[in-house]
Parts: sequence; C-alpha cells; structure tokens
Amino acid sequence: MGRRLLAAALTALAGAALAQPVTITWFVGLGAGAQPEQKAAQDAIVERFNASRDDIRLEIVYVTNEVSVATLSTLIATGQAPDIVGPVGGAGSAAFAGNFLDLQPLIEEDGYDLSQFPEAAVENQRTDDGLIGIPFASFPAFLYYRPALFDEAGLEYPPTEVGAPYVLDGQEVPWDIDTLTEVAKRLTVDANGYDATEPEFDPARTVQWGFVNQWAGAGVARQNVTLFGPGTMVDEEGNARMPDNWREGWRWYYDAIWTHHFMPSADEDASDLLAAGNPFESGRVAMAQSHLWYTCCLTGTEWDIAALPSYQGTVTARLHADTFRILKQTRHPREAFEVLKYLTGEASLELLAVYGGMPTRPGDQDAFFAALDERFPQGVDWEVAKAHVAYADVPSHESVMPNHNKANDRLDQFKSLLDSQPGLDVDAEIDRLIADLQAIFDEVR
Amino acid sequence: MSTRAAPRGARLTPLAREQRLWGWVFLSPWLVGFAAFTALPILASLVFSFTDFRLTDPEAVSFVGLDNFRRLTVDPLVRVSLGVTLRFALISLPIAVVLPVALAALLDSRWLVGKPLFRTLFYMPYVVPVVSAIYIWQGVLNTQSGWLNRLLRLVGLPGPNWLDDVRWIYPALVIIGLWGLGNAFLITLAGMQAVPTAYYEAARVDGAGPLARFRHVTLPLISPVILYNLVLSLIGLMRYFEVPFILSNGTGRPGSSTMFFNIHFYKTSFVFFDMGYGSALAWLMFAVTMVLTGLLFWSARHWVFYAGGERG
Repeated sequence: MGRRLLAAALTALAGAALAQPVTITWFVGLGAGAQPEQKAAQDAIVERFNASRDDIRLEIVYVTNEVSVATLSTLIATGQAPDIVGPVGGAGSAAFAGNFLDLQPLIEEDGYDLSQFPEAAVENQRTDDGLIGIPFASFPAFLYYRPALFDEAGLEYPPTEVGAPYVLDGQEVPWDIDTLTEVAKRLTVDANGYDATEPEFDPARTVQWGFVNQWAGAGVARQNVTLFGPGTMVDEEGNARMPDNWREGWRWYYDAIWTHHFMPSADEDASDLLAAGNPFESGRVAMAQSHLWYTCCLTGTEWDIAALPSYQGTVTARLHADTFRILKQTRHPREAFEVLKYLTGEASLELLAVYGGMPTRPGDQDAFFAALDERFPQGVDWEVAKAHVAYADVPSHESVMPNHNKANDRLDQFKSLLDSQPGLDVDAEIDRLIADLQAIFDEVR
Repeated sequence: MSTRAAPRGARLTPLAREQRLWGWVFLSPWLVGFAAFTALPILASLVFSFTDFRLTDPEAVSFVGLDNFRRLTVDPLVRVSLGVTLRFALISLPIAVVLPVALAALLDSRWLVGKPLFRTLFYMPYVVPVVSAIYIWQGVLNTQSGWLNRLLRLVGLPGPNWLDDVRWIYPALVIIGLWGLGNAFLITLAGMQAVPTAYYEAARVDGAGPLARFRHVTLPLISPVILYNLVLSLIGLMRYFEVPFILSNGTGRPGSSTMFFNIHFYKTSFVFFDMGYGSALAWLMFAVTMVLTGLLFWSARHWVFYAGGERG
C-alpha cells in the first residue's frame, strides 16, 4: 500500500514537472526597445503571448543600451544566456558574431514560409553561421531636410526622386556629392549672417550648419562614408584595407568639418546649439543623412525627406535591418523559435510601430506608413524612403571584421580624431589606422 | 556591561562563548557579502589571468600559463594608459591634497562668518551622482555654449577647447575633480578642529605667528588625515574611469590623452570580451597600486606625526 502511494506520488510529481511550461527569456537592449515609452507595448505583447500558450512562458529582460553588450557577454559567460535577443541590427549582431543559432533546420522542420519576404532581405540574414534571423524591420537611409532653411537661403529643395537632377542658380546639375557640398556651404551661416561661401564667414561663430551624418558616431564609424559607395575594410586575404572611395569619403568628411565648416565638429555637436548631440532636431541643421529609425526622435513637423546624392553616378543608401535572434546557448531552440515566429509574425506590426521600423513584408508597409502620417501630418512622401531600399550598400557598412569589436573600436578612435582635431593629415591618419587594423586582425589569425 | 578578552589558551566561560558566537552571527552578513562579491571574484580573476577565457566563448577556455602577463610587456596600450594615469596623478594628486587643507584652514578661521553654510556648500557637490555631474560639466566646458568660455569671452579672453585639446584636457579633468573634494575637505576640517587649543596657546606664548602656528602645529597634527586623503586619492586615481569614459566615450580623445588604464582594462574585458588578458591587466593595476601605496606608507614615517607615538 505504502509503495503504491509512493509510486503514485512520484508519478504525479513527474507529471507536474512535465506539465511545467518552458521558460524563454527575451533580452531587449542591444538595439531599440529599452526606452521607457517602448516597454509598455512589449510587456503587453509578452502578456498576450503567455495568455495564449500553456507550454511556453515568455519572460522579458530590459537592459539599457549603454550596458547591453557587457551584460549580454557576462550572461553568456556565466551560462545564463537569454534565449532570444532583439531587436538587434547589424552592428549589435556583429559584436556577438558566432553566438547566434542557425535557424535553417528549425525553418525546415517547421515548414516556415520564407517566400513572404523579399529574397534579398532573407539573404541579408545569412552569415557564415547560417541563416541567423527572420527578416523583420528595414531602416533605409535617406536625406532629411528643413524646407524653411532652404527657403531662407533661396535654394531649391533637394530632389525626391533618386538620381534626379537638382536646380542650382537656375541651372540643372546632377544631385551628387559636389552639389551637396555647394548647397551645404550656402546653408551654413555664422552669427553675422554670412554663409560659408563668403570670405567674411567666421567659422568660430557658426549658428547654422548645412549637413550632418545624424547619429553615425560610436560603433558605426563606417556609416560616415557610404555616400561614396559601399566598401569593406577587409580584403580577400583577410588583410586590412581602405577602399579608394572611402579614402576619398574620409577626406571629404574631414574637409566638411574643418575646411568648409558645413558639418559640426565634435565640440559643436555636443553644444546646446545643436541640442547636445541631436543636431537635426535642433533646427539648426539644414540636411541630415539618417535612417528611417530617426523618426523616433523628431518632434516637430517642419521637415521633409529627399533623395541621397550620387557619387560618380551611383547612389548608395545605407540599410539597417533589425530582427530577433536565438542564441546558440538556448536549451529550448524549438520553443524559442515559436516565440521568434510570434514576434516577427502576429506581434510584428505592433512592435514595428514601437521601434519605428519599416516592415520587411511588403504587404505590411502601407499600414506602417499610414501610422507615420498620423504622427507627421506635413505630408511626407514615404515613397522616397521605400525607394532607397533598392540602393542598399552591399557589402554592408556593418559587416563583420576579424577581431570585430577591437577593430570597430579602433575605427571609432579614428572618427573621433577627425571630429575633434583640426590640422590633421587625413591620409597619414588613414595609413596609421590601416596599420593598426592589420595588427588587430593578425591577433586572431 | 563590559567583558574582558580572555587570555590566550584560557578556557572560555559559557557567557564568553555565547558572546563570541553572537559576534560571528552579527559579522556574518558582511563576511558572506565579502566572500561572495569581493574575495571570490578576486580569486576568479587570478585564475582567469592564466587562461584565454573569452566572455562570449566560455566553453573554449584553456590554460595559457604566463602568456597574458608576457603580453602586458608588449601591449603598447599598457604603456600609454599607465603613462596617462600616472601623468594625471602627478597633476591632480597635489591639488587633491592641498586644496582640502586650504579650504579647511579657511573654514577653521574664527573670523569667517556663516561657517555652517560654507561647510554645506562645499560638501554639497559630493552628493550629486557622478554621472549627472559629468554631463553637467560637459555642458559647462563646451567651447561653443559652455558657461566657462562665455565668461572668458565676456572679459575678452578666447576660451580654450577644454575637452578636445590635449593641452587643456587635464586641467578640465582637474576642474571636474574639484567638484568631488567635499569629503576630503570635511575630513580635513574635522582633523583641524580636533587639534587641542592648548598647543596653539603654547605656540602663541612662544611668539609664533599665524603662519608658524599653521606650519608647526596644525600641519603636523593633521598629517595623519593628509596621509589618509592622499592614500584614498591615489587609489581613486588608479581606478579613475567614469569621467574620461563618459567624456570621450572610451575613445581616449583627444589623442590618447584620456586613455586611462581602467578604460583599457574595461574595453579589453567587456567590449573585446578578452577576460583572460583583462584579468592580467587588473592584477597589474593591483600591483602598481600596492607598490605606490606601500611607498606612501614608507614615506609616512618621515612626515606623518602620530600624537600617540610612532605607528608600527
């Protein structure tokens, strides 16, 4: 009798243990999602998922972006890695290259239909580790501009059609880097009202700038030269290199700050004049190259969007593609994949609205832009944003380099130097950068 | 009620045993915390320093002997970052020691009106969270819109580029550091006020003026406090991190002038995930700090006056 009771009790306990839902942890903070105003929507999605499933319990962990890399690496090191991370873009993913699960076997086992996404978007998720993500959000780059500042300077607005010409002083000219430079100089004004093309212009008293690469700073230095075309800093043998177009791009970048003065230096960028690091939002910058995600942080409606200029006849638009990824350390890959499908499927529109990301599924895009129109009723032509996806930089400026985090850190130092020090020999600094990168690459050969 | 310590080897009474037990019980939260959050991590970092442990690849860890310590000798950033740290220490340590003494002497003066107000004002910045204070200073020191340069422009002086000029970044860091001197100042003031007035009266009778009294009475009697401030400031400098990290985003800007040793250590361990080598860096810093602190204590025999006699 006693044995039977014991056996029954053990069976009941085992049954109860088997019926326990599997816990899947979702780590938010490597990219968007950890802002206070974004948390409520994500919490609601987690709650809905948990209400709909008995077999999986989803838990969300928020970490602020500044400490997310250190936190995630420590969690991985201690065997406490979350199952899912995201949304995360190329830069965040590159920092953890080699740690993401290849989804291909799970996709095949599940019969998941990848044809709902453009093929290029799926290929964008393929790395040496396999297919490490399901396409979710795209953030093409384009030109934000302030029409009022163009009006004030008596200049035409930049073209909205990619590759279309610009009208400068009544003449049709190509909308290219040279034209952008000229227009940006005319839009750069000092406290006495002189623009940067005039000899009386005083760069120490600039109060309005012509152009900025909005939020292309730490961790993403390569973003600053993609107007000059795509490129990679690793050659076929795995050695460090600076593509010629990017070398020219860095020279232009440096001259824009220190010779033509139409781009703010580090000190100017951090000043109250430029909203302490949010220059375009300050209203004192006429044009900014940035991504669709920048709509997150625009409050007014006195802006519009336009096409990026060409370089040697070709337009290149940076593309950020964020998604969720499963870490290799997960003990429950199937359950994690179920959550991944939910986040990139049923919950995707709600999440995309929170993150400001353009749905990669073409069918979802109209609803997304309609929601943006409600926020920005000035009548932005979002077709301009969509059109830039076709000019995405391949290879991506976020591509993985050998010893990636260290190499990227050295690039940050290089950009920081250009931003803050006048009188540099840019070519010599580039050569020094390449020599250092080579040593960094060699450490992991 | 008081209990005397039992002589060595003597049998403890039940009461003494009980009191000893309760002593350990009350100490145990600290002991457990120290073991879990200090001693064990220190021990772990020593073990890590002999491995190639990478945070993102914990399963591939292997023993590498002294490789990480050999790497310390060829890593150019070790030389650079140690140089930056020591150079800044040479500039800021004297200020961190002299200024609290000077301020305390001012506030100890019987002629000063409103002492409690000044004490509060000098201490107040110390309670501002360090990160907030750094962001505020970043704004104050901005070339374009910072108050300091605006004031300089008002008197016709061109303001320097405090944060992006290698000639001005250390003065800027010192200015920011002054913000947190409240604690050292208060301790020094307490030390000054504890000097028996009889010594001053005796010195006055011997014909000593204010400067002589300060030099021959005050300074020797507060020298233990100065040593204390000096040791804490030195240790603080060896772990100097938040200010340069936030100001330069860890890039060492301008040039490599803010590439302090702890930024190199932090980036190696938590940005490049190279925890094995990062641990070796931590132990190098520990060794440097120990040597410098040891030198301070050795030198203290020659300049610190202990009223109760020389310390062993």
